[in-house]
This record gives sequence, C-alpha cells and structure tokens, in this order.
Amino acid sequence: MGEFNVWTSLPAVAPEIGLTILAAVVLLLDAYLPKEKNRARNIAFVSAVSMAVLALTPFIWAPAPNTSELFWGGMVRHDALGQLFDVMILLAGAITVMIAVDDSGVGRRGEFHLIVIIVTLGGCILSSSADLVMIFVALETVSIPLYVLAAFRREDNKSSESGLKYFLFGSFASAILLYGFSFLYGLTGSTQLTAIAAGLNSEIVSGNLVAVLAALLMVIVGFGFKISAVPFHFWTPDVYEGAPTPVTAFVSVASKAGSFAVFMRFLIEAFGLPAVSADATSTLVVIDGQTIQTFWVNLLTVFSILSMTVGNVLALRQKNFKRLLAYSSIAQAGYTLMGLAALQAQSAIGQDIAMASITFYMFMYTFTNLVIFAGIILFVEATGRENIADFAGLQRRSPWLALAMTIGLLSLAGIPPAAGFFGKLFLFQAAVEANLVGLAMIGVLNAIVALYYYLIIIKIMYVDQGIDEDKPLAMPRSYAWVLGITSVVIIILGVIPTPIFDLAQQGAAAVRLAMGS
Amino acid sequence: MALEQFAPAGVMIIIATILAFIILVISRIFGPHRPTFRKNAPYESGMKPIGPAQRRVPVRFYLVAVLFIIFDVEVIFFLPWAVAMRDLGVYGLIVMGVFTLMLIVGFIYEWKKGALEWE
Amino acid sequence: MVPLWVFLMVSAALFCIGVFGVLARRNGVAVLMSVELMLNAALMNIVAFWRYNNPTEVNGLAFAAFVFVVAAAEAAVGLAIIISVYRNRHSIIPEEADTLKG
Repeated sequence: MGEFNVWTSLPAVAPEIGLTILAAVVLLLDAYLPKEKNRARNIAFVSAVSMAVLALTPFIWAPAPNTSELFWGGMVRHDALGQLFDVMILLAGAITVMIAVDDSGVGRRGEFHLIVIIVTLGGCILSSSADLVMIFVALETVSIPLYVLAAFRREDNKSSESGLKYFLFGSFASAILLYGFSFLYGLTGSTQLTAIAAGLNSEIVSGNLVAVLAALLMVIVGFGFKISAVPFHFWTPDVYEGAPTPVTAFVSVASKAGSFAVFMRFLIEAFGLPAVSADATSTLVVIDGQTIQTFWVNLLTVFSILSMTVGNVLALRQKNFKRLLAYSSIAQAGYTLMGLAALQAQSAIGQDIAMASITFYMFMYTFTNLVIFAGIILFVEATGRENIADFAGLQRRSPWLALAMTIGLLSLAGIPPAAGFFGKLFLFQAAVEANLVGLAMIGVLNAIVALYYYLIIIKIMYVDQGIDEDKPLAMPRSYAWVLGITSVVIIILGVIPTPIFDLAQQGAAAVRLAMGS
Repeated sequence: MALEQFAPAGVMIIIATILAFIILVISRIFGPHRPTFRKNAPYESGMKPIGPAQRRVPVRFYLVAVLFIIFDVEVIFFLPWAVAMRDLGVYGLIVMGVFTLMLIVGFIYEWKKGALEWE
Repeated sequence: MVPLWVFLMVSAALFCIGVFGVLARRNGVAVLMSVELMLNAALMNIVAFWRYNNPTEVNGLAFAAFVFVVAAAEAAVGLAIIISVYRNRHSIIPEEADTLKG
C-alpha cells in the first residue's frame, strides 16, 4: 500500500465522487425547484444525462494498464474489471431514469431519481470493494434504497407488499452475511480480503476448519440471495411482479451486476486461485490439509445447476410477463454461476476467461434486460395489462417496439446476432477450460429449454391476432432513444464482442497477477 | 479491583431471589383466593377504565423518531474524529467538513419538504 | 478476565434467537426486531474479537461503527415500509399480504 496520498487515490473513486455530488445537487433541486408540470421531468433529465456522462469517467481516469492496485487503505481496487462494472451500472442507472419518466406511479416524483442515483453509487463502490467493511456498507447502500423503490407506490397494495417482502428477506440475508463476515474478521484479525487470505493460510487458523466453512457458507447464502440463485430465489417472482416496472428493471440489473462483481472478488481474493503452471505458486487457502476452494466450487456448481433448471422449468408456465422475466433472471444467474465455478481452472487462460465471461455476461445482460423492461413499461402504460397473451399482434401496433423486444428476447435466449450468444458461449468455454464439461452440457440443455419460452413470446408478438390491433401504440421520445440505443448496443456486442471481452480479460489477468498466482 | 469485594452483593442478590420465590410460593399455597368482579377491575377504587389500554400513537411521532435516529447515529462518526482530531490535522478536518456538508444537505431537504412541521 | 468463548456463545445465542424469530414470527415488526438481534449478534462478535485478538488496531472498531449505522438506516426504512403496508391493509403480517401469488 505504501504512503497514503489523497491525490493519487482520487481517480480510483472518480465515478463515486461524481455520483455523490450529483446526489446532493438533485436533492437540492428537488427541494428548491418550483412546482410546475415539467419539474420531475427536468430532474430526471439532469440525472440521466449526468450519469451517462459519468459513465465516461472510468475511461478518463483509467487504471494503469494490467494492474489491480489497492487504494484508500486497501478499501477499493482500481482495475479494468471494476471499470467495466462501473460503466454498466452507471448506464443502467441512466436508462432506468429515462424509462421511469413516463411511468405514472414513480417517475413524476423527484425523489425517485435521487434514490436511483444512490443505488448506482452503491453499485459502483460494490463492484470495486476489497474490504469486508466496504463490501457490507456498499451492499447495504444498494439494498436499502432498493427496498424503498420496491415499495415506492405507497397507495398500491402490490407495490408496498413487494417492498415488505424484499425488505424482510433482504435484511435477513444481510444479517447472515454479516455474521459470516464477523467470523472471517475474528479468525484472521483483518478486514482486508487479501490479508484475510494470508491470515487463513497461517498457523493461527489451523484446527478451525469448521468455523471457516460455516463462515463461508453464511457469506454464500447472503450473496446467493442478492443474485437470486436457487435455493435463495423465493423472493424474486413476488418482488419482480409487485414492484413498479422501472424498479424491477433496475433490481434485475444493478443489484445483480454489483453483487456478482463483489462475489467474484470475494472468492478470488479471500480464498485464492490455483497455480497456473507447475512452477507457479498457488494462492489457494488450505486449512488442515483441506482446500477451501473445492468446497465452494462444488457448492456453486450445485447452485448453478439448480438455478438454471428450476428457473427455466418454472418460467415455462408463467402467464405474467414480469414473473416470466423473474424466473428467467434466476436462470441467467445460474448460467453466470457457472463462470464462478470455472474459477477452479488450473491455467492462466482458464481463470482469465472465467472472470471475463462473468463480466461480459453481466454487461450484455444489463442492456438486454433493460430493453425488454422498457418495452413492457411502454406497453403497460398504454394498455394497463401485463400478461404475455396481451402482447399478441404487437408487431402491427408498433413494429419498432416489437423489433426491439425481439432483439432483447433473442439475446436472452442466446441466438446470434444478439449479444447473448457470445455471453453464453464464453461461459460454456470457461466451464470447459475448468474441466466442468458436465456442467457446460447441462447449461446447453437448459439454453434449449429456455429457447422455447422466449420464442413463444416472439411468435405471440408477430403471428397471433390481438383484440385491438388497429390501435397503434404511441412512442414517447425518451423511450425511442432508450430502445434504439440499447438494441444497437446489443447487436454491436453480438457482432464484435472482442473489445469489451478483451478489456475484461486484461482486467482478469491484472487481478490474477495482483493475487500473485 | 478484586472480584471478592462484590461477594456480599452477590450473596445479597441470591438471597433476595430465593426469598422472593419463597414468599410468592407460600402466599400462593396458603393465601385465600376469593376473586370478585370488583376486585378484578383494573382500578379497585371504582373508576371505570375508558377505551383500550393500548392507544394508537399518532404517526407524526414515528416520523420525528426516525429523523432523530438517522441524524443521531451519525454522531458515531464524529466521536472518533474528535478523539483523534490533532493527529488527523487538516486532512481530517476537510474530510469531516465534507461529511458534515452531506448531512446539512440532507437536513435542508427534510426541512424544505416539511418533515419538521408538526401540523 | 472473562474468556472469549463466553462472548461468542452469547452472540451465537442471540443469532439463533434472531433466526428463530424471523422464521417463526408472523408479525412484520417482530421479524424486523429479530433481524436487528442477528445484526447485534454479529456486532458483538466483531467487538469481542477486536478486544481479545487485536486491540491495537482500529479496524474492528471501524467495522462495528459502520455496521451500527447501517443497522439504524435499515430499521428506519423497514419501519417506514411496514407502516405503508399497514395503511393499505390494516395488517402487518406478511402471509396475509397475499396479493402476489401464482
């Protein structure tokens, strides 16, 4: 770490500083702007544009290439992986604000946009934190405002109930996570992740294998809830259905991306990576002759299979579009967990691909989910119905909306030219590199099952006869922008995925080298 | 301080607990039980209780309590800084200034939104 | 001095009471209180470990301070959500909040 210097440390948290200032500005705007018709719209515009501009800061103050340095006394890391996660969370925040503007329940109140900014701030810190204190505070900075957002329509029964459920399960999971953290701190006397790894490998912990495994299990339960992996998924469908749709969109991308980023960092930094060649040193934590990595890889493999299968099978019989996407997001978490299990790879390229594939998957998933949710919000605002059958004949009511949603659904299903194809391909590749061929096979089978229900929706939109097909849907300008930009990004990522994937791979290599393996 | 100094207090606590139990048990066994309607009334003096005992509290109290907690808990960050103020120097002062500024912005917001109005 | 394991036992007991409360109680406020018990169990662990294992460093104290603040924020938000549910349904029992089923 060396000498603490504020000025060299500032670039590591540039987007976070910007978001904090933005939050204060929006707070004052909301307090002082006179009451008029376009008040909330102006606030939303300021928030969205500022967040989109802040998405450039990770590139302006980029980390030194191929490094993953610790800053602020070991609290945060500054590397390409954190950079990519910052960008996707900031853009998710900006898009959420844009698609919430015309949602009758939420976008007309200024504080909605403020809370979205706070969640984005939490997510940005979360994706680069390297210390138990930082992880816990950032995780709660993401979660607590999201509870508020889920319950944002106070007069609506469904919304406040989904907020209550989200809050009760979420705070329960946070408490379990914290209890696990307290043991990791207690056993090693440190809160910094790499120092914990060193502590776990030293003499003082020997004989405490059970305590370490119990602590790890609690942490996995906590993170498993946040990424909605089976068996900790039961809150997901209810919250997704009940929460206002822009909030559902935001929960499904921001909190998930941030949690996956920090889950990956936690497992790598606190429990080590295998040696990449015969003469390299392994950083794996070994207690009483037991390698901890074997334990969590096996556990996450099981969770991955369960999440994919349960998510896809239950999605098959959903009638409500938002519930379907909830189960779909559980299945997507299952695919991504495959990347975490692939961290057991014994080669440098295998470990790098594992980390990079998770990052790329979350990157494309952010845009994919947001385009579909933007379409749903637009449709529900116009018609007041959110069942899949109501989307019949959408192509004749609004061809561009149908096209954008088709691109999103193809991406979720993993069909080229959409980005989802490469997302899945990289994950399967990572699993194969890590000798998890069976897991990759189950993933492929699941992708085929999932194909069915995604294609059914496309068929309904294009082929089926709707009841009011003669009424075209109006497309407000903000939605046209969002749908256009996200669709184009999905197609670009699907045709040339290499720039993002290469950057992710460089970041992964930097993390691996910083670990010393 | 030696623990033995507290021995009399410990003995006292034990004796008092046992004595209380003995008295309760003895009065249960030997005392007469002749309950009447008037004896069971909340006030034996004859006052009739009006309304349920657990009254609803106006939600405004709750709002004030929550605002108080949020601002009160922040003090936990001021205290360590106050203790180590001289070691931290100008840097610590600036950092706490930024922190206080954030709190003040929040306070202005709550004031302008009317959360502090009672009526 | 009281040995460390006594504190760990008390905290484990608190944690178990909290978990039991979350799983068994049906009242939203009671569940919230149980979650707070669990957070306090973790807090107690952290402070005890700090005092016994490395009292010369401040990281444990800082950890405890942040957990404390987060717990307060969580309680404030949770109570607000519970009140908004109560105003809609006149009940704070999560199972009775069953508009979302399917």
